[in-house]
Amino acid sequence: MSTTAVRTEHLSKRYRRLLALDDLDLRVVPGEVFGFLGPNGAGKSTTIRLLLGLARPTTGHAWIFDIPATDVEVAHRRLAYVPADVAWWPRLTGAEILTLLERTGPGTDAGYRAELVERFDLDPAKPAGTYSSGNRQKVALVAAFATRAPLLVLDEPTSGLDPLMEREFRRAVLEARERGQAVLLCSHRLDEVEAVCDRVGILRAGRLVEVATVAGLRRLHRSEVEAVFPGAVPDLAGVPGVGDVVAGGGGRVRFVLSGPPAAALRALAAAEVTAVSVREPSLEEIFLDYYGGTGR
Amino acid sequence: MTAGRAVTGLAVRQVRWGAAIVAVLAAGMSLLVAATYAETVGSGSGAASLASLAGNPAIRTLFGPPVALDDPGGFAVWRTGTFLAVLLGAWGLLAVTRTTRGAEEAGRWDLLLAGRITLAGAVGRHVAVVAAAMVAAGAAITAALLAAGTDPAGAILHGAGLALLGVFFAGTAGLTAQIFPTRAAGTGAALGVLGASLLLRMVADGMTVLSWLRWFSPFGLVELSRPYEDDRLVPLLVLAVSATAAVVAVPTAARRRDLHGGWLPPGTGRAPRTVLLGSVTGFAVRRMLRPLLGWSAGIGAYFLLIGLTVKSLTGFLTDNPQFADLAGQAGFAGVQTVEGCVATLFALLAIPIGGFAAARIAAASADEEARRPASLYGGPVTRSRFLAGEAAAAAGGAVVLAAVAGLATWSGVTMTGAGLGLTAALAGAVNVLPVVALGLGAAILALGLFPRAVAAVGAIPTVGGFLLLVVTERVSLPGTLLGLSPFTHLAPVPATTPNWAGAIGMSAVAAGLGLIGAAAYRRRDLRA
Repeated sequence: MSTTAVRTEHLSKRYRRLLALDDLDLRVVPGEVFGFLGPNGAGKSTTIRLLLGLARPTTGHAWIFDIPATDVEVAHRRLAYVPADVAWWPRLTGAEILTLLERTGPGTDAGYRAELVERFDLDPAKPAGTYSSGNRQKVALVAAFATRAPLLVLDEPTSGLDPLMEREFRRAVLEARERGQAVLLCSHRLDEVEAVCDRVGILRAGRLVEVATVAGLRRLHRSEVEAVFPGAVPDLAGVPGVGDVVAGGGGRVRFVLSGPPAAALRALAAAEVTAVSVREPSLEEIFLDYYGGTGR
Repeated sequence: MTAGRAVTGLAVRQVRWGAAIVAVLAAGMSLLVAATYAETVGSGSGAASLASLAGNPAIRTLFGPPVALDDPGGFAVWRTGTFLAVLLGAWGLLAVTRTTRGAEEAGRWDLLLAGRITLAGAVGRHVAVVAAAMVAAGAAITAALLAAGTDPAGAILHGAGLALLGVFFAGTAGLTAQIFPTRAAGTGAALGVLGASLLLRMVADGMTVLSWLRWFSPFGLVELSRPYEDDRLVPLLVLAVSATAAVVAVPTAARRRDLHGGWLPPGTGRAPRTVLLGSVTGFAVRRMLRPLLGWSAGIGAYFLLIGLTVKSLTGFLTDNPQFADLAGQAGFAGVQTVEGCVATLFALLAIPIGGFAAARIAAASADEEARRPASLYGGPVTRSRFLAGEAAAAAGGAVVLAAVAGLATWSGVTMTGAGLGLTAALAGAVNVLPVVALGLGAAILALGLFPRAVAAVGAIPTVGGFLLLVVTERVSLPGTLLGLSPFTHLAPVPATTPNWAGAIGMSAVAAGLGLIGAAAYRRRDLRA
């Protein structure tokens, strides 16, 4: 498919002296769940504000399905948005908010909405002033998923949800992907990103430092290998890609492998290895690799 | 106790600028009126004939009974007292609900109260700081009147009375902010108490048999102290006890409730009411209805009372032509006719209606800052449509309020048997709408350029214009400066035909302000 759900070119945003977003080139295609990661203040929310036309880029452009993001009236017919820190008018009930968003939004599948209200265990008769932050978030999630808009922009959508609701959220995201909707998901929950995202973009200090599939990210990163030998442990120092070698007792050795594993595997095979276990890094370890000890 | 002191410091930081402006304004007006007494009223026959004002119930109802008008201090009390009392009371109650319930509603107190300070302690300290600001404003008034060379006893009594009235409404707002769980409801209830107190004072002054009612209104108690004449202390002692009781009761009221809660348990659910949820404009109207009802009640009651006084007022002015002449010199010609009198009184209407319109745009700005419309921003609605919806709702509300005022005045006048056509009454009320439009335009300008100062900027054409008119009445200012006040361009409708050129000019300026504001609003980053 040639159209992109989200496309940005040289997108930058400067707030006085702070360069919040620096020359972002991003593409999200239909049927894809794109995870947007980065520490606090990296520029994720700024990107979303620019994509929604809530803020104006200092330089560069953004398009939603090839419509300029600044053309809100047309572009927003193709998207639904869940803001971070959802707030509502305290007197309106959940049902009234859903009605308001239905009538001012891009259109709603009423049947699916009823199903989502059920699944997210939302009591729509209560006024929003009595909702907990998780319940306020559920109203926004139900409204957004029920639109079946071709693009869902979700900014930290599960920060207040309990594990059961979080599971419903993941199901709803995967259903959206199956229908061919694109999802841009900003999240700090790396297990969630790992579970639902096809590709991940990592933002750091306003710059996109990596875009890859979750599996691809792993490949780029270090795996932990443990091997057991019947006799003497071979000297693995100097084998390409092997580092941090720690010899344990009883012919056990542990090391960290980065890059292509062929050389290391040859060295293990030559020493008649009896058992090998490879543990791939979690997204959290990858994430910490990018940011650990470097400040922002 | 450093935790408590830190919270007091926080409260001071939030109100210090507003408190300084209120004190300077109150002191400045008092000084100006007292110091220019000799030139404006004079010592001879002018002062003597002013005394005959006291005999007229209409004058008493509108401005309070004139007391000691032969004294510069007494004249300043009569001329500025009611205005300053409303200013202090309204600012004090708005400051209290903003810094207490408003901060709590926005979630800013959750973290604060996780520390060593209690809810009762935080609320109590914020109310105490506003009360202290009121005392400072009262002291500034006293200092100004002393500087003008008036009698010290009267100066102290008047300053103390206004300060105590301010403290009373700060305490009242502290209480309503505990009872109701939202800032809007707390503010509305406290404003209701203020409006009712003012009306009670007006009714008590208008009808001799009901004059005892003054003891039940802070405005009435301040009036009963009669500074520069009798210097009575007892009414102020009653007010001091009530004000202290209100302030002291605030922490107790706060102990009876949960954070984010009120005295009444929250609603557990209801059937959806989906009327006016179909568009952003409809939704703007829906959010306006409740405040519109409150403002309609207040404006309706006030102008009904005004209508009831008109017959007596015109009769008085016919019998005492020197006052009609005085009013004529101040630009209010023909006040001895019902139409002329009503026209003069309608000019005031621009201030509350302009306040209402600016408050609606300020509410939209507050919504934006609280991120409530964030999900709506994700919908296919342009900012122009958002703004057009808010502006249309505010303008529609203003027209409704003008109609309410016209209808109420007509009812009052008709009840007393004086002749005033309904069309004439409505025309007089609608005549002030171009001034209201200026206030709305200024508020929209601020929404685009200074979104945190919408209410203040929106009040400049109405409140600022009125103050400019009052000041120019005292000291001779160049005509061009006087021309800046929108009130200069209002014709006394229904006594004469409208000043069409003025109305068109003001509407054009209002539209220009609004368009600049709209362009800025479209271009700026939203705060959500």
